[in-house]
This record gives sequence, structure tokens and C-alpha cells, in this order.
Amino acid sequence: MIEEPYRWVEAIANRREYIEAQLASGSPIAALGYRDGILFLTLGQRRQKLFEIYDRIAMGAIGHPGDIERLRMAAIELASTEGFTRSAADVSLRRLVHYSLSPVMKSAFEQVYGAPYLARMLFAEVGERPEEDLFLRVEYDGEITTTGATFAQARQDFAVLSGTQQSREQMESFLKADHAPDASFETALRSALDAWSIGHMTLQTSDAKELPERAAVTKYRQEHLANTQIEAGILERDASRAICYRPLSDTELRHLISD
Amino acid sequence: MEPSLVALDRNFSGAAGDFPELLRRRGLLAPGATANSKLQGGTPHQTSWQPTEATTILAFKFSGGVLVAGDRRATAGNTVVYDRADKVLEIDRHSIMAIAGVPATAWEMARVLEHSFQYFRRTQLQEMSVDGKVRALSKLLRDNFGFVMQGVGVVVPIFATYDSHPKPEARLYFYDAMGAQFEATDYAATGSGSPAVRGILYYENNWGAKRLQKLGEDEAVSIALRALDTAAESDTATGGVDRGGKIYPLIKIVSREGIVTFPESKIAAVFKETVA
Repeated sequence: MIEEPYRWVEAIANRREYIEAQLASGSPIAALGYRDGILFLTLGQRRQKLFEIYDRIAMGAIGHPGDIERLRMAAIELASTEGFTRSAADVSLRRLVHYSLSPVMKSAFEQVYGAPYLARMLFAEVGERPEEDLFLRVEYDGEITTTGATFAQARQDFAVLSGTQQSREQMESFLKADHAPDASFETALRSALDAWSIGHMTLQTSDAKELPERAAVTKYRQEHLANTQIEAGILERDASRAICYRPLSDTELRHLISD
Repeated sequence: MEPSLVALDRNFSGAAGDFPELLRRRGLLAPGATANSKLQGGTPHQTSWQPTEATTILAFKFSGGVLVAGDRRATAGNTVVYDRADKVLEIDRHSIMAIAGVPATAWEMARVLEHSFQYFRRTQLQEMSVDGKVRALSKLLRDNFGFVMQGVGVVVPIFATYDSHPKPEARLYFYDAMGAQFEATDYAATGSGSPAVRGILYYENNWGAKRLQKLGEDEAVSIALRALDTAAESDTATGGVDRGGKIYPLIKIVSREGIVTFPESKIAAVFKETVA
């Protein structure tokens, strides 16, 4: 199968296509940095998708539950042993993803006789100040995307994850216009819900060039909120506490959503 | 951090959420000593070596939860090593471990314990039960028993926590060096000054103005200070209250709301009014 290089390339391409198809129905996740922390949000309660990794790190993931579980466990193990042998301040999301998770996911993806990880993950680490917040998206092939400033783009204080690239890009362009890093929690919550709605709407259409109408987004959001549970969590920017992550219950959030 | 996640597929540690086991697998937990590999067989220099030890700690239930107090002195033989040692350690939002014995071992235990509870909660997505927490400390003590037999690592802790299930109540445990756990109904004290402390707490509980469980916060702090001061009177290893240096015992309170460190200024006020 892989005696010749082009066969390997072909095998990889097939594998990519297969994984993309598997992930395509994944419900979007949005992570938004706001004044007092980072909010993670998604809708739909088939299974838990948001997780605490360490004191200042949380994760959201879509994909196969078994693969998500293995990666989640690995991230917790690495962070916990680092935090134990050195200190909690030495646990860094950047190192965790760049040096540990990404290489392993890449080699699993490229070894065509073994199984790849069927998972796409979104990590965030809360900093002492909003500028120090870090968002990282890791793909099934080990590809890492950060929201830091580069030549091509300004720094973003949010990151999103969705089943398809199109859906993700729609959410990003919405948040680029709608979200400000110094937003209050209520504002961030509304933006996150709208971003989720846009992402989820886009999953069902094959070509969405423009962002949907505001009214359509509101209607879609209301319909889904009526019969779906919100899953959310925050990494609180509070220097006085070691453990920053706190899951938020559906009931806690409902009364904050006005319309 | 390790670059490889090979261990990931080799084991199912996640299903158990056992942090000490993870540390052992990675060689990060000191291997236990065996009881018969005696230090005494070594040179005279070794036999005369004295480990640093922390001394008297006490805890009792009062109307506002559990009060845990410890003096501040650490000694090695006849030498005072440190007069501001912290023997009352917060393990999580509702649990305190207080230590008498060798601080090197005890602080490491506290660290393992602290990480164990969080590791369990994060991997298993549920809080460890109080029984599970109590047992986790017991296991660490048992694993350490080899060092105890060599005479270098004895730790006799007290563990205080607040249990929300099934019935919300404060729980208090003390241990022996081998890891046996005993649940205390009213009070516990360990360390070299503990005989005096136990005498006072027993007396107060039976013939004092109120039973310990009925005491208000300031009354409870006052009794803790008196007990430690009494212990320091006859036991040189207990610091009690250093009147000249203004060093007061460390007092923490566990309740449903979490842990509060009783501020030193308030301790000083209670001390001045009811003890000194």
C-alpha cells in the first residue's frame, strides 16, 4: 500500500476525507475571552463536551468520545504531573499542546496502518490579564492554530470549533465583528449563543457566503434554546484562587438571557 | 513535560483516577523503604542524625465547624529549627491536613493528597467522597511505614473536612503512623505535646462551661490557645505562643462555606483577653 510515496499521500488524503466526514456533524463550541475570564459554551447535551484540564486550562472537543477521552486524560496527566513536580505556574498550555499533544496526534494521523485520533479540540488558558489569555485549536492531524497576533491577523480574544471549516469561518467572522475583549459576562454570553447559532445553521447548508440575517439568527437561537440544554463553563480571572474553572449550569444561565 | 503519550494506550489509569499510581509509574514518587533495611547498621554519624520534626496539633468540633490549630515550632532533637512552621495545611476547599512528625514527609504527603483529589475530580468528573479522601491519606501513611521503622519519617496527621453528603456535617479524623484512621466525635490531638492538650480538651468537653461542640468561635479559639500554651509549658518541642516574638499558633476553621484562616490580629486579641 505505501511502497511508493504517492500511495502514501493518497492514503493520507483518503484518511483526511474520512475524518472530516466523521467530524462534520459536530456541534460548534465557542470560547470567548471577556473582562473577568474566558467563557466556553455549546448547546446540546448528548454527552459532555467541555472539560477542566488544570487550574487555568479548560478544553472543549468534538469527535469520537473514546478518542476525546484518551486525549483529555493525557492532557490532565501531563498537566498534573508537571504541576506536582514543579508548580502550578509551570504548567503551560503552549508547552502541553506544542510539545506533547500535537506530535502524538500527527504521528497517529500519518501512520496509515494505525488509527488516527478522531477529535478536534479547543483549549484555552486564562491569564492574569486579558492580553495573556491563550486560545489554541488542535486538529486531528496535530495542526495547531492560535489566536495570537501574526503578520496576517490581529490578536483575537476568542476561538471557535465546529464540524466544518465553513461553519467555523462563519462563526469567526461573526465574532470578529461582534465581540470585544472587555465585554461583560452577559454580553459575552449573548455573543457566544449567537456564534453557536450561526455555526450550527451553517452546518446544515452547503454554501454560505454571507452571514445570516440578524433576525434569522435570533429566531434560530430561540428555537434551539427552547428545547436544548446549554453546556457552559468559565475560567475565572481571579488571582486569589488557584482553581479557575467552574462549570455553569443551564438554570444559572437561563435568567441572564433576555430574549 | 514528556514528549510521548505512549503510556496513554498502555494503561487505563483514567478509570481509577489514582494519582499516586500515576506518579509511581513515572518514577516521581520516592520508593518506599522497607522495615528491615535499617539505618542503625550504618556509621555512628548516621545514628546520631536527628530529623526535623513538627510537634503539637489539635482539632475539635465547635458550633461553627471544625477548628484546627497547630503551634509553629519545628525541632531536630534538642534544636529549634524553625519557629514559623506551618503545620495546618489546606488540601482542598473543604479539607485540612494538620501534621505532627517529619515535615519533609508530611509536606510531600500533603502535596500528593492535594493533587490526588484534583486529579480524581478532573479525570472522573466527580468529587472524591469523604471516605475516599480519608482512605487516600491512610494509604500514603501505610506506604511510608518503611521509613517510620527506620526512624526517619514518622507522620501522625489529623484530617478535618466538611461532608455535604449524605448529611451535611463536619468530620474529623486522626491517624496513627501506620495509617489506621480513627474518626473523632469531639476532638483530636497528636504530636509530642498532645497528652496535655488531650487532658485539657477532655476536661473542657466534660466539665467546662459548655461542651466543645457548643462553643462560639472566639471561645473555641481561646481554648485552642490555652491548650497549646499548656502543652508548651512542659514540652520543649511545642512552641505555644511566643509572647516576645509575637508568634501565634496557626488556626483554621472548616465549615460548609469552606476554609477560613483565623487572622493573626484576632488571635492576638483573643490571646490578650483570655489567655495572657
